Amino acid sequence: MGDIILTMKGINKSFPGVRALNNVDFELYKGEVHALMGENGAGKSTLMKVLTGIYKKDSGTITYDGKVVEFANPREAQQAGIVIVHQELNMLGHLTVAQNIFIGREFMKGIKIDDDRMNVEAAKLFNRLNINIDPTEKMSNLTVGKQQMCEIAKAISHDAKIIVFDEPTAALTESEVNELFEIIRDLKKKDIGIVYITHRMDEIKLITDRVSVMRDGAYVGTLISKDSTKNDIISMMVGRVIYEEPKTESKVPKDAPVVLKVENLNAGKSVKDVSFELYKGEILGFSGLMGAGRTETAKAIIGADPKESGDIYINGKKVEIKSPEDAVKYGIGYLSEDRKRYGLMLQRNVAENSTIANLENFLNGIFIDTKKENKETEKYVESLAIKTPGIDQLIVNLSGGNQQKVILTKWLVRNCDILIFDEPTRGIDVGAKSDIYKLMNELVKAGKSIIMISSELPEILRMSDRIIVMCEGRKSGELRIEEASQEKIMHLATMGN
Amino acid sequence: MFRIKQNPLLAKKLGFNRIVLLLVLIAMYCFFAIFAKNFVSYNRLLSAMNYAYFLGFLSLGVTFVIATGGIDFSIGPVMFCAAIMSGYLLTHYHWPLWLCLITSILIGAMYGTLNGYLVAYKSVPSFITSMAIMQMSKGVASVFTKAQSVSWPQLAQENGWYRNLIKTKVGNVYIPVGMIILVVVAIICAIILNKTKIGRYLLALGSNKEAVWLSGVNVKKWEMLAYIICGTLAGIAAIFFVAAYTTVQPGYGDQYNNEAIAGCVMGGTSMGGGLASISGTFIGVMIISILQEGVLAIGLNKNYQLVITGIIVIVAVYIDVISRKRKY
Amino acid sequence: MSRQIQNTPVSSNKSIIRRLGGQNLVVFLIVAALFAFFCIVSPNFRRYSTILSILDYSYYITLIAIGVTFPLITGGVDLSIGTGLICYSLIGGYLVVYQGWPVWAGMIVCVLCGALIGLLNGFLVGTMNLPPFLATLCTMMMTRGLGSICSTGLGIPWPTAGTEGGWFRTIFKLNIGDLKLPLGFLWILLLVALMSFILNHTKIGRYIIAIGSNKEATRLSGINTKYVYISAYVISGIFAGLAAIAYSAIFASVYPGTGAGFELEGIGGAIIGGVSMTGGVGSVTGTLIGVFVICILKTGLPFIGLQANWQQIITGIVLIAAVLIDLSRNVKKGK
Repeated sequence: MGDIILTMKGINKSFPGVRALNNVDFELYKGEVHALMGENGAGKSTLMKVLTGIYKKDSGTITYDGKVVEFANPREAQQAGIVIVHQELNMLGHLTVAQNIFIGREFMKGIKIDDDRMNVEAAKLFNRLNINIDPTEKMSNLTVGKQQMCEIAKAISHDAKIIVFDEPTAALTESEVNELFEIIRDLKKKDIGIVYITHRMDEIKLITDRVSVMRDGAYVGTLISKDSTKNDIISMMVGRVIYEEPKTESKVPKDAPVVLKVENLNAGKSVKDVSFELYKGEILGFSGLMGAGRTETAKAIIGADPKESGDIYINGKKVEIKSPEDAVKYGIGYLSEDRKRYGLMLQRNVAENSTIANLENFLNGIFIDTKKENKETEKYVESLAIKTPGIDQLIVNLSGGNQQKVILTKWLVRNCDILIFDEPTRGIDVGAKSDIYKLMNELVKAGKSIIMISSELPEILRMSDRIIVMCEGRKSGELRIEEASQEKIMHLATMGN
Repeated sequence: MFRIKQNPLLAKKLGFNRIVLLLVLIAMYCFFAIFAKNFVSYNRLLSAMNYAYFLGFLSLGVTFVIATGGIDFSIGPVMFCAAIMSGYLLTHYHWPLWLCLITSILIGAMYGTLNGYLVAYKSVPSFITSMAIMQMSKGVASVFTKAQSVSWPQLAQENGWYRNLIKTKVGNVYIPVGMIILVVVAIICAIILNKTKIGRYLLALGSNKEAVWLSGVNVKKWEMLAYIICGTLAGIAAIFFVAAYTTVQPGYGDQYNNEAIAGCVMGGTSMGGGLASISGTFIGVMIISILQEGVLAIGLNKNYQLVITGIIVIVAVYIDVISRKRKY
Repeated sequence: MSRQIQNTPVSSNKSIIRRLGGQNLVVFLIVAALFAFFCIVSPNFRRYSTILSILDYSYYITLIAIGVTFPLITGGVDLSIGTGLICYSLIGGYLVVYQGWPVWAGMIVCVLCGALIGLLNGFLVGTMNLPPFLATLCTMMMTRGLGSICSTGLGIPWPTAGTEGGWFRTIFKLNIGDLKLPLGFLWILLLVALMSFILNHTKIGRYIIAIGSNKEATRLSGINTKYVYISAYVISGIFAGLAAIAYSAIFASVYPGTGAGFELEGIGGAIIGGVSMTGGVGSVTGTLIGVFVICILKTGLPFIGLQANWQQIITGIVLIAAVLIDLSRNVKKGK
């Protein structure tokens, strides 16, 4: 291994309400592949975004190539030789591959863009990387894997000294993964430092030299890849002090009836042949890595995304759900992971947000019975301890946790029997979190059934009566709470890799 | 103009805006009173109100559409189309007046339905749909009358009683009946927007269509309804237009879109949807009406008003854009 | 591999033909079919003079359509081009007719005014982040008012052919003895070639397409999106200025208050020609062909007994149809 090329020391970064990075250290050698691991939300991507100038750090130092640096934007970082291959693709679909690779630094021939030369250079680049892509093909015509390869090629073409890969293999087929590994080995030989963010355990041994683990925005430790086992890494990743006691046994009575049954559900690429049952009074946890198809499954069930095939039974009766309207009619409420985009009406007040799903109940002819509406809303504001100056407060002015409670209120007002909670505690503070847990427990006691999608393992273990683990669009396993552990879930979630 | 210190309550801000607007209205009236000859007279005011009536109905209608986050550029020409076609039926085919008035409203509603269907069910961007409808309504009107203009009857003539809808002479004084009607309709609109489920759904889907859809609401139906309301009010506006200005010519009317939208945006209805104020729209319309009367009174022609209104809209929308950026 | 490199330019041409050829061919066939239809139905339509008049009336619409193609590709729109072109023509004409400016200076004024309004549009959209349709709606109103104000509300008769300064009309229609040559079409073709080049082979064109594809990714690539927006709208404005010249050269007089609706014909032509409302897709040649669908309808309808007014209805229907087709195309792509 060569010299140190990058040292990050004491990096701190906060977002409103969240401490994303807490005094993180990181170190990278020339010619090293350094894996960065951790659960979703552990701060890996944030750390790399700080490095590449997308986020501004609050404090800490970055020493790159012997000098202390601070990049104001991704462009400066690029020029200095640090590039990032993003998890989400930043492609321009209407342009060709070569045009994408050289966007912003086109070869010119007078005022004319020298597309021929760009094609030739791109072809040379692909040739060097042994990738078979036609540089003149339109970007949107490529498969996601090929698009990813183009992103990688674009990064390499910058003459980089450090390349950050943010889960590069998530969208690649096996042969493409092998191609990528060849490229990475080749880059190593050229003394380029590589940061490799991944969730896949088996890749650690295959390609990386060292592994650093992050948890809850903090640095946990670094291991030498070849001397460590999968279990070492997993226990570092999940080994937080569990302040929430996990459930030890299911609270669902043995004879509880099935309220929702999903059979062989297929929807697009991310939901393949999913079947499961939900019992009355049960909290069914859905675990898995990001992009495992959990949200997509939920959306297909409620008719928000089109499904290709599969049957849904509610209380034993087969139902046809074509739109959320149908789903709500059948008593299924969906609480989205993306509150702002799919949950809240930001410009409207608490009461209006609370009653939107069940407005019919608050009508007096065509007029809204404001008294009844306010009374009902106030009842929930009180019982859920929603912190708001009043029910006529605009929801945009509430904190994340209280916003979430209002969305919960919406479904409670609608009195849905089946509730799908997609990451119900994402981005909210600890107090509100335990309120929501308490509420969920009360709901199931009252005979409601809950599907809880969550990426936080402690949350899954604390709340669920039963756990379904998904991996790459399929149900990879089902665990009773009595037998479940973080390690077992992780194994199932990374299965098939 | 009505930029204010950050106020935690957007709702309060809306209220504040209306007070500022009212001050602008008064200031504008004073300005013209000083600089224009004979501006302060009851007749002047009545003449300004002639403009306010039809513009008020247009503006009230488009408020509903903008509340859903859409836009309707067809209201002016649709108003003309309704006025021309029903007027032609009255003068050439001798339909009874009451039927013509109803026809006018129905024509407006029909265009609104078409507009709403294309926007809500076919996902065509509202500005394109409504521009196409604008063009079509112009064409339909001139095909219907073979490109002639239509003059509605005068007060003294047979079938002239509809003119009493804007002002009625009692003794020696004109009573602005139109203002009473406009205020009543505005109040009804405010009730619909704020007190009924229609308004609730419209504002809700303007605020976050996806969320409302996921809450199990048939958003398409309600979105379409906004355009129908808008079209219907354009049909009513047609009656008040001819009652004030008698003659309508095919191929025109699009300048009124802009003024109606201007009134609405000035009044604090957000282009992003989800926020609307009927009283704001009402004051906005009054400002534009006084402005147009005043511009004529100080000896400038109508064209200056176009330019001024354009600038007002830009300022109003820009304030909306920055306040939204700061907030969300 | 070296073989592949050699082949690259060829295959790039092929893919362009493949990409644009399909749509253009279909639209071209529609144009041909419309033309054939009118020829068969109406004997008068077959005359050379009809073809000349189709071309005469097509110039200004084609020019604004070429211009508006650029804002459309960024994902925006420019509504100010219709009233704009009348405004510029009025201002230029006023200077020529009433202030004794030479015609060439008047023409330059037209283009400069267009560029100025384009700059304003670009500033409102790119820097102030106003929604494009609203920003340009305002400039639409303003140009309408300004045109009338500057010309003091009068119709402006640009110099007629044969009088002093009337030479500018021959830019678009050259009379050699009895033979009338539609010279304007040549200029249109040259401009199409030039703008195609700018769109496909220069940085500014590349960035315009990039913004229309993915604004955020373009910004992350280190491109100053403000300037790109401004350029797109300035191009649109300049072409509205050129259209003003074409309009003045074809019509005897220009009247204030007209021009609303032209922008729809231009935008409609561009969308029929394959420019996508959602941005990122479009070609100047496609726009050229698309415009002729509208121009032939416009000229042809009176020949089959429909008054010119029908054409407004048809424009509306054609516009909606074109957008619906565009939307369904996107849905298919999305899957």
